[in-house]
This record gives sequence, C-alpha cells and structure tokens, in this order.
Amino acid sequence: MPGSRVLLVDDETIFTKNMSKLLKNRGYQVTAVNSGDGAIRELEQNHFDVIVLDLKMPGMDGIATLKEIIKLGLFTETLILTGHGSIDTALEAMKLGAYDYLTKPCEIDELVAKIEAAWEKKEGKN
Amino acid sequence: MFFVRYFEAMAKEPPTSHNGPEAAAAPDIAAERKVTYSRLFWRFVWLTILCSLVPLLLVGWGINLHYSRFARERMLNFFQTQVEDHRKLIERFLNEHTSKLQLIARTHDRDQLLEPGALQTVFDLFNQDQRALTDLGVIGEHGFHLAYVGPYDLWARNYSKEFWFDQVMEKGVYISDMFMGFRKEPHFIIAVTHATGEKKWILRATINTESFRSLVENVRIGKTGEAYLLNEQGVYQTSPRANAAIMDKSSFPIEPYHEGIRVRVLDGLKNAQGLDRPTQIACKAWLKNPRWLLVVQQDYAEAFADVNHANTWTLVFLHLSAASILVVTVFITRHMITSIKRRDAEADRLNQQLLQAGKLASIGELSAGVAHEINNPLAIILTERQLLLDGVKHAPIADPEFREQFADSMNQIDIQVQRCKRITQNLLRFSRRTQSLIETVDLNAFIQEVVDLMEREARTSGIKFFSEPDPGLPPVSSDPSQLQQVFLNLITNAIDAHDGQPYGSIRIATQADADRQMAVVKVADTGSGIKPEHLNRIFDPFFTTKTVGKGTGLGLSICFSIVKRLGGSLSVQSEVGKGTEFTILLPYTPPKELQDSLAKKHPPKKPA
Repeated sequence: MPGSRVLLVDDETIFTKNMSKLLKNRGYQVTAVNSGDGAIRELEQNHFDVIVLDLKMPGMDGIATLKEIIKLGLFTETLILTGHGSIDTALEAMKLGAYDYLTKPCEIDELVAKIEAAWEKKEGKN
Repeated sequence: MFFVRYFEAMAKEPPTSHNGPEAAAAPDIAAERKVTYSRLFWRFVWLTILCSLVPLLLVGWGINLHYSRFARERMLNFFQTQVEDHRKLIERFLNEHTSKLQLIARTHDRDQLLEPGALQTVFDLFNQDQRALTDLGVIGEHGFHLAYVGPYDLWARNYSKEFWFDQVMEKGVYISDMFMGFRKEPHFIIAVTHATGEKKWILRATINTESFRSLVENVRIGKTGEAYLLNEQGVYQTSPRANAAIMDKSSFPIEPYHEGIRVRVLDGLKNAQGLDRPTQIACKAWLKNPRWLLVVQQDYAEAFADVNHANTWTLVFLHLSAASILVVTVFITRHMITSIKRRDAEADRLNQQLLQAGKLASIGELSAGVAHEINNPLAIILTERQLLLDGVKHAPIADPEFREQFADSMNQIDIQVQRCKRITQNLLRFSRRTQSLIETVDLNAFIQEVVDLMEREARTSGIKFFSEPDPGLPPVSSDPSQLQQVFLNLITNAIDAHDGQPYGSIRIATQADADRQMAVVKVADTGSGIKPEHLNRIFDPFFTTKTVGKGTGLGLSICFSIVKRLGGSLSVQSEVGKGTEFTILLPYTPPKELQDSLAKKHPPKKPA
C-alpha cells in the first residue's frame, strides 16, 4: 500500500533512480542501492516491507543477496526483478523464499501490483 | 579404363537433401573426400590384386609352365622311344638279311648255288614272308655273275670296277648306300664273300627298295610326321614326304656319327621345291652299319598340339578366373566404398548436429546475455516514459498539437519497447532456459488442435490443410508446450511460404517408424521452396529470408533446438517452386538426460 517501505536493489543506477521516482510518485518510501552488499548493509540498519531485487549484478548477485537476506530473518518480502529473464533462476529464487518475479522491462503498474501483493502477503492478508 | 569410368560414376555426389542443420561438406572437403575415396578404392583394388590375383597368376603360370615342360619331356621321350625302336627294327632287318646271306654262303658250296634252280630256291626262301629282295646273284672274283635270279638282265655286267666290289672283297660283308648301278634305279645291296678253295665268290642281294621304304616309313607320328634315312653325305636313302626323292640331297644338317639319340628343333628347312618348311622337331639316331642316319621328324606345332591346347585352355581359364576376381573385387570395393561414404555422411550428419547443438548452446548463452543487456536499457526507457507520463499528469501540456504528438510518441515508445521485449523473450526462449514438463501426448489429436488453431489464418491466405494421421501411432511422452511451439512455428512458416501465391496446401502426416521406435511427423507445403544455398543455413539462429520486422530468424532454430532436446531430429527437403517438407522424428520416450534433469528439478513429492 502507498507508504510502504521499498528497497530497490539494482546495479543500473538510472533504472533505480527512475524507478525510485515512479514509486515515490505512487506514494512509496523508496531506498535504492546498486549492489547486494549495499542492500544487506541497508537492511541491517533499516526496515523495509518489500525488497525489489535484481538477479544479475556484479559482485554479490541476486541469489547470493537473497540468501543473505533470508539469513537475516527479516520480516519482509522479496520480489525478483530481472532483465536476465531466466525463469529457472527466478524459480530457484522463489524456492529460496522470494515472493514472486518480474522480467524487465515491465510496466510500473505491473510492478506496483506485485509490490502490493507482496505487502499483503507480508501482512498476512492473503 | 572401364574401372576408372566406373569409379568416376560411382564417386558422383548424391542429389541435394538436407538433414537437420548440417551443412553440406564444403567444396574443398568434398573434393578431398573424393580423392580419399578414390585412393581407398584403388588401394583396396591393388591390395586385392596383390594378395589374390598375383599369387593366383604366379601359381597358375608356374603350374602351367611345369606342366608344359613335363608334357614336352614326355612327348620327347615318346619320340625318342619311337626312334630307338625304329632304329632297332631297321638294324634287325639289315642284320637279319646279312646273316641269312652269310649263312647261305657258308652252308652252300659255290657250285651248289650255281646248279640250276638252286639260287631260285634260296631267293624264294628269302622272299617267303616278305618280298625283301629284288634280286640275288652269285658273282665270281672277276666281277661277272655266275648265277642270278631277278628281273634285270645283268649277265654281261662286270662289277669288278664298281665301288662296292672292292669293299666287299676287302671286308667280307658290305651294305651299300643307295646307288643307281647298271639298272639305273635307286637301290642298295647287301653282299657277302666266301671262298671255295682258293676262289672267292660274292653272294649279292639287292634289297627291295619299296619294302625297305615301307619298313623305314612305318612310324605313326601324326599327319606331318615322317621317317627317313640319310647317309653321311646327307643323301636320302629312303624317300621323305617333303616331295624329295631317294638320292636327293637333303638340307638336313648332318652331324658326325654319335651314339644315342639326339633331338633338334629345326628352322629354315626347305622342301624339294625350295620352299620353307614349318619349324620341325627332329629326332635322329645313327645306324651302325651302314652309317645311315635315321631321322624321325614332325611339324613342331603338331608335335606339341596337345600340350599347346592344354596350355591355351589352362591359361584362358586362369585369366578368366583372374578377370572374375578383378571384377568381383571392383564391385565389392565399390560396395564397400559406398558403405563408407554412407557412414561418413552419417558421421558428418551427427558431427554437424553436434556442432549445431554446440553452436546453439553458445548462441543460447550469448542470447541470454544480450537479452539481459537489452532488457535493462528497455526497462530504463520504460521508466523514462513513465516519468514523462507522470510529469504530464502533474503539468499537462497546453499546446493541443504537441499534446497529441507527445501522446503518439509515448505510445510509439511503448510499442517499440514491447517489440524489443518480444525479441528478447524469443532470444531467451532460444537460450533453452524454459521449463519442460513431460506428458503423454497423442500426436494425432495434438496436431489437429494446432491445425484448428491455425486454420483460420491459413484460410485467409487461401491455404488448405490436409491431415494424414497414422491411426496406429502410439502416444509419445514429450513436452506438449514445446511441441506446440514447434508445430506452430513450422505451420506459420508453411503459411508464410505461400506468400504471393493465391492458394496452396499444407499436408501434415504422422507415421509410426517401427524400426527406429519413433514417431514421424511430416509437415509439407506447396510454397515457394527454399533455395539450395539457404537450405544449409535455415536452422542457424538469426537466419531469415523474411523481410525486416517480419521474422527474427529464430523460429526454426528454436524448433531444431526443442526437437533435439526432446531426443528427436528435424530435417528438411525442399525444391524451389515446388515446396518444402519438414520431417520430425520424435522418440516415444524422452531421452534419459532430459528425464534425469527433470527429476532433479522436480523431485517426486513425498506423501503427506
């Protein structure tokens, strides 16, 4: 729901900048980081309702980041957003505990719908 | 030359057909192969010739030579035996008559023989069995006949000056050569001397020339064989067949007296007319007394006719056998080379499929990377578009014309981004990272569903479907979603192949291949066909003959990739202007690797 705290993790700076603006325009509190390490650091310090995580990133990739997130045992849901489009990898991520996945490029409305669904799941509404 | 032509005909390339994405061997490889096959062909042929023909011919020729020698030796032995027997016969004849004359001379007093009728009685006794004597006479020491029995009038003849008279008086026994004498006819005599008191007398017999000639010539040696006697000067003592007469000079080369029998092959002999005689084989033996040379000779060709005949037939048979071996060798080698070619082609096909699979895998990886790299900018473009749209919502554009233009541009950006997205999705699908689910599929029903799906589109293009399902086709265990993609792609291509044609047809047939335990699906169209130069590349990723924007060139690559992954094969045959036929072979059960990989991804659930 608008006001939810979203952590956007993607190595594409322009994408994270644009997506942050779009999500903020739609009422979300967005924090954008450009690496898995940055995401973990951010999560250790702040609480987020939904994490939008890119799979293919230099250094710590999406799967490794997800595993670290799970290790942290946070009360949060993770959406996988990937330009790689590998369903196998996305399915692997979902097996690890990710809520759902989207492939780039995706419409903002589509992403918002998924974030909403993830938030609702996190809140135990579905 | 025949074999060279035969091989060249054999080495011709088969007509164009294409199995899967394998490219036809490059021209240089094909030429190299041709040379290799040619070398192999000739190597086998020469090896066989060396290992079978050469020994056969050597043994054959050896045996033939050995047999020839053996047969010739036997023939010569026979010849020599004949001559030896004949020589003995003649010598016995002469000795017998000499002995008889000596016996009469010793047992009879000269006067007894001079009594009327006494010499006639002796003459008759001589000629009792055979008419061996022409005449018989008793000659006194002065050279005149004292008694004579015979057809000639020789009473007044004085023999004391004759050559034989002194000889017989000196030696006691004398056998003359042929001479004319007083009777002017060729004859020879046997004369013996005896003494009554101090008076020597001669008992002289003239041998019947005809009887003697018959005796000498009585040797059966073929049509051209002959036997005759020559004296030491080479003068005929009996008449030979070569139209020569007794006492003619022979051209036969006379050698000095020798013991035993000698054999000679003679060239350049002439007959009485001076004409050349054919090569002769002659066997000769000297008589001891008189020194006459018994010659038995025959045309060489006739003498060895049997041997030559046997030789000829042996060689004919031998060479026919050799020719048969050669022909069979060539045919077997040709068959072998054809088999090798077929196996090479099969190996090429498998290698090409392997290469293609490797190529597709590499391109798959690349495609996944490219898709990712493109998807990210696309995502940014979309976010930029969305930001602009968001911005316009808060600050609407005042100029209606620009507002309209802005909306169109936003719309176009969205369309083009979606188009790029489709391309990247195709790329990603091509990268084979899609999920497989194996189910039992009734191909006949399944294909009919796909056909039903496509029928409307086909109908609008004037294309009719003809289905030929094999009712006995067993169901296959395969991935229906991927199979659907394959059939949709093939049918779409088949429809597109009729572009520019008012009507056409697509025939889809299924068949059970009992030998290979596979299902066969053929999709044939009556479209424009594929050019031979394109046929090698149609399964290559990004290869398309469609206009820009109409095809990505991934459809057939994906089909090939899917079918391959499902354990089958995809091949194509096409003729420009007539149409194209794709053949899919699908196993009834998926390959083990696929089953294993699926089992890994979807382990069976434990019961709750």
